[in-house]
Amino acid sequence: MMPAMAQLQFCVLFLVYVATQCTSTNVDTVSSGINIKNVDRTIDISSQLVKITSKVTLENTGKSPVKNFLLAVEGTGKAKLAFIGTKDGNNKDLRNVETDVKGNDDAKFWRVDLKESINAGSTASVVVETVYTKALQPYPTSITQQEEQLVKYLGNLYFYSPYPVSSQKTNVILNTKAVETFTKVKPFLQLDGSISYGPYSNTAAFTEKELVVHYKNNSPFLTVTRLERLIEVSHWGNIAIEETIEVEHTGAKLKGPFSRYDYQQDHHSGPASVRSYKTLLPASASDVYYRDTNGNISTSNMRVKKDSVELDLRPRYPLFGGWRSHYTLGYNVPSYEYLYYSGNEYLLKMRAVDHVFDDMQIDELITKVILPEGTTNIKANFPFAVTRLPDSLHYTYLDTKGRPVITFTKTNIVENHIQDFQLRYSFPRILMLQEPLLVVGFLYTLFLCVIIYVRLDFSIHKSEHPHKD
Amino acid sequence: MTTLAEPDLGNGRNKPIFNNTTGFSTLITVTVLLLAWLAGFASRLFAVIRFESIIHEFDPWFNYRSTAYMVQHGFYNFLNWFDERAWYPLGRIVGGTVYPGLMITSGSIHWLLHALNIPIHIRDICVFLAPVFSGLTAISTYLLTAELWSRGAGLFAACFIAIVPGYSSRSVAGSYDNEGIAIFALQLTYFLWLRSLKTGSVFWSICTAISYFYMVSAWGGYVFIINLIPLHVFALLIMGRFSQRLFVSYSVFYIVGLLLSMQIPFVGFQPIRTSEHMAASGVFALLMAVGALQYLHSLNPKGQWKKLLIVGGLMAAGLVFLMVVFLTYIGVIAPWSGRFYSLWDTAYAKIHIPIIASVSEHQPTTWSSFFFDLHVLVCTFPVGLWYCVKNINDERVFVTLYALSAVYFAGVMVRLMLTLTPVVCVLSGIAFSILLDLLLRDDDLPTAPVEPNDKNLYDKAGKVKKRAPEPTSQADFGLGMNVRSGALIAFMILLMLFSVHCTWATSNAYSSPSIVLASYGNDGSRKILDDFREAYGWLSQNTAEDARIMSWWDYGYQIAGMGNRTTLVDNNTWNNSHIALVGKAMASNETAAYDIMTMLDVDYVLVIFGGAIGYSGDDINKFIWMVRIAEGEHPKDIHEADYFTEKGEYRVDSEASKTMLNCLMYKLSYYRYDSGGSPPGYDRTRGALPGNRGFKLTYLEEAYTTEHWLVRIYRLFEMFITSVPTDSVVYDFLTVLAKRIENFMMIAAGCGSRLS
Repeated sequence: MMPAMAQLQFCVLFLVYVATQCTSTNVDTVSSGINIKNVDRTIDISSQLVKITSKVTLENTGKSPVKNFLLAVEGTGKAKLAFIGTKDGNNKDLRNVETDVKGNDDAKFWRVDLKESINAGSTASVVVETVYTKALQPYPTSITQQEEQLVKYLGNLYFYSPYPVSSQKTNVILNTKAVETFTKVKPFLQLDGSISYGPYSNTAAFTEKELVVHYKNNSPFLTVTRLERLIEVSHWGNIAIEETIEVEHTGAKLKGPFSRYDYQQDHHSGPASVRSYKTLLPASASDVYYRDTNGNISTSNMRVKKDSVELDLRPRYPLFGGWRSHYTLGYNVPSYEYLYYSGNEYLLKMRAVDHVFDDMQIDELITKVILPEGTTNIKANFPFAVTRLPDSLHYTYLDTKGRPVITFTKTNIVENHIQDFQLRYSFPRILMLQEPLLVVGFLYTLFLCVIIYVRLDFSIHKSEHPHKD
Repeated sequence: MTTLAEPDLGNGRNKPIFNNTTGFSTLITVTVLLLAWLAGFASRLFAVIRFESIIHEFDPWFNYRSTAYMVQHGFYNFLNWFDERAWYPLGRIVGGTVYPGLMITSGSIHWLLHALNIPIHIRDICVFLAPVFSGLTAISTYLLTAELWSRGAGLFAACFIAIVPGYSSRSVAGSYDNEGIAIFALQLTYFLWLRSLKTGSVFWSICTAISYFYMVSAWGGYVFIINLIPLHVFALLIMGRFSQRLFVSYSVFYIVGLLLSMQIPFVGFQPIRTSEHMAASGVFALLMAVGALQYLHSLNPKGQWKKLLIVGGLMAAGLVFLMVVFLTYIGVIAPWSGRFYSLWDTAYAKIHIPIIASVSEHQPTTWSSFFFDLHVLVCTFPVGLWYCVKNINDERVFVTLYALSAVYFAGVMVRLMLTLTPVVCVLSGIAFSILLDLLLRDDDLPTAPVEPNDKNLYDKAGKVKKRAPEPTSQADFGLGMNVRSGALIAFMILLMLFSVHCTWATSNAYSSPSIVLASYGNDGSRKILDDFREAYGWLSQNTAEDARIMSWWDYGYQIAGMGNRTTLVDNNTWNNSHIALVGKAMASNETAAYDIMTMLDVDYVLVIFGGAIGYSGDDINKFIWMVRIAEGEHPKDIHEADYFTEKGEYRVDSEASKTMLNCLMYKLSYYRYDSGGSPPGYDRTRGALPGNRGFKLTYLEEAYTTEHWLVRIYRLFEMFITSVPTDSVVYDFLTVLAKRIENFMMIAAGCGSRLS
């Protein structure tokens, strides 16, 4: 399909890309001149995600100014970590880079570059936000229709850090009073919907202590196991987006029968089941469709709001633990909001992934961008590390040599990943005329053929018109 | 419709622009046919506009599924497709048990469009195939009628067939079934047959055979063609209308058509082995004999050949008939199949094959349904028939026979209304054309449709400029102006009412997808009941990939198509004993049913229950057929009378018989059904409070029930481990295994005996 030259070029590009990816892992050492003065940690486990926000006050106890510091995630949590973000005291994003530390192969490290270096003896405060997926284990793993869903959170009682911490407090938000058991390390306090621990003073670097909370959590445990996002760019003013979504209820599995009677009579029946959820689309989204392989799913509502289009999606059936569903959601947006150009150079700026439901977790994301036919010099820029798959070609109406398709994939996605990617490419505008000309040319030839056929007699001998009767 | 009158009216007026009438009438013809195509296409889109682009009903789902399979895996894999998802544990050889014409048609359209980079989903091609083909049917009907009578009549017929409910009932968008393309093939074959008969050319005969081949590949109704054309030939022979043209066209058509039709795997050797096809070969032999005698006659025209010709012809006919009877008797030729036999004896199916009688479209047609499907045409087509008989020629003999046989078949079975509709349109077209000829001819217009005998070499359309023979006599000229315009207006109103009725009937009666139901509230708001797809969607996502679903055969194709799961029986009702086994399970009590279900490896049972919303086509209402079919194969275990009350009523309330209240179907329908208005648990479909309530299920549990209770799915508990002494476990396992194998053998033997 692809011309050999382009293939070769692509291969080289890909190799260079892979090579740069490989060399980007750095090696750092833990500086002994940093001490953490205070940590104020909030662990939000009221949804299916574990969202930890830590306000960290760094102190430079060394002699020289500190330009960067390290963040660490324990070995048990690193596979479940979906997102890590850092902000400084003014709520400005700080750049963090994944790094390695010799002698600590178990944990995972990030180096955070500060905007202004901390001078010796002074302090700086940083906000660290981490999101974990699948860190809440349903326990028991299967429940009947009427039972509440209980989950277990296993975490670290202390802020995990390569630096010693002078003082720390942790607040666990549950949004429920129904707590079966929880780790009791004094001082602690159980409030209405939360448990607070601490303050604990002087914990050494890399301290781990198990924190277990076993509690009721009936919030939707929905996982998007696979999301394929297809963005088709047209230079005629439209961008079509189609998302093929596979959803699974990953909470406690349904044990025993499903009773429609109970489900209908009693609205508290099936507390852990998911009847519907909301998807937010861009405000300019139009022509929304919601269907699966068997056709339209008629149970949905759409509300156009000021800053978004809110879809109230109901799967064909309520989702209980272990039940799956899949559907396709598509819509159009006008291209002027996302496509910028100057001359023949274009810039596409779109979300790599969009909102599916609140507190979503996506196991696998595949985004495909179909660019117009004749596009060259494609340069992509992603907001987070993705795996770019080989480019391919897509053929649709009136295509002759195919449209280039950029494909990239990423696993373990949460809402914090709703960010824009950028694609720069060049497209000679004259090519816009190709398709109309093709149609005109085809019709012209067709009519010409008909005219020639009708005007000329092709028969070998003149027929006699034998009359019947 | 008014456009039709224009060729005659408009000629004089438009003379400056269109200085040759043939060009103008070609334009009119093309325009009218295009409009008929458009109108036919548009009037079939109600379901798509009201609901969505979706495959309807039951059989279309199988056709769609196999088309999708063919598109995905290629044609040869499709021919060799063994579908293990159907008729568990037997499976089904799809390639050999299906008329592949439909799939090949949409598959080729799909291939062509994709070769042109037009990425239309195969589902949309399937949905819109029948409406598109309705236009082609209109064109072939036009050709057929033009061959029989005149082009004007042809245009009328084309317009009729485009919108007539009798045909659109089977060809609305989404009704992806064989009939959709078969009527086109039928009309085309008849047209080509008449053309070949008229010209006596081998070319047209071969075209007929190819068109016949397409028909054979598309629909089992090809038997109609292969009996009607020989009947026509036979009638012509009897009428003494033997000619070389007839001889050439029939012998070429028969031989080529026979060979081609045997290329379809599903048909195979049937054309030479079954009684349904024997008429064709008999007539062929007879024609040969008559041809030989004619030849002898031509050698010596003065001899006593005339008598010999008649006697020899009769003897040949008798000989051929006796031969066929003898071959049937010794078993070389299979006797008529039950389905075919039930066409002659309407009570036959009810007694011998309940499975055929249980299908609503196999019931005899009522008078109202004749009118509903054909409206005014049912009154006008005898007029056309009368004119055809009055002005008889070779072709009109054909259409007469066509009309008479089709009227008979349509009276026997509602479904065969479809074969009547085209000929009714043809004859009504002729009738209306004659009428308009009569009413629109100006007394003082000698210049009207006089063909200018232009010898314009460059005008292709000039070849078909011949006019209809004037069927009317001089007496018709006496009509006055008032009578004419009055009659004209009356007929225009009739035609208008006809088109209104057609649109109404198509929209209200034939455009329901039947897998999506809609109910209307008091304020006119529409509520969609999507329970079927809810259940099938649930099955496809939340059951094991190889789960086996037991349901009544009606839902087999849908479960396979939408749920993508294995079924025991489906709408291809080839194995009666297997269906009877499912019927027996449904009709037995839970324990007995459990034995049958474990024997058949059932994982889930699906029943349709309409009691909550008042849906009348549910399983309880069909249940009596399950009992009858089960009784046919298992007369010892199932007795129809047990399911009725002592007074012989079919009830579900407390008056119902004990067997009824405890059978599996009853229990699965009413299990924990306590909602649905007042009093709770009231069955709206049957207007009764179920007699047996609050019971528990021992061997099954509710797996899923849809929102409106329409589809209920039950899960079988795993094999019950009954208290078995531990030391005999191995022995027990072996006996269970042996029993399993024995059961499989039984089922296989059952299907084997059916096949042979």
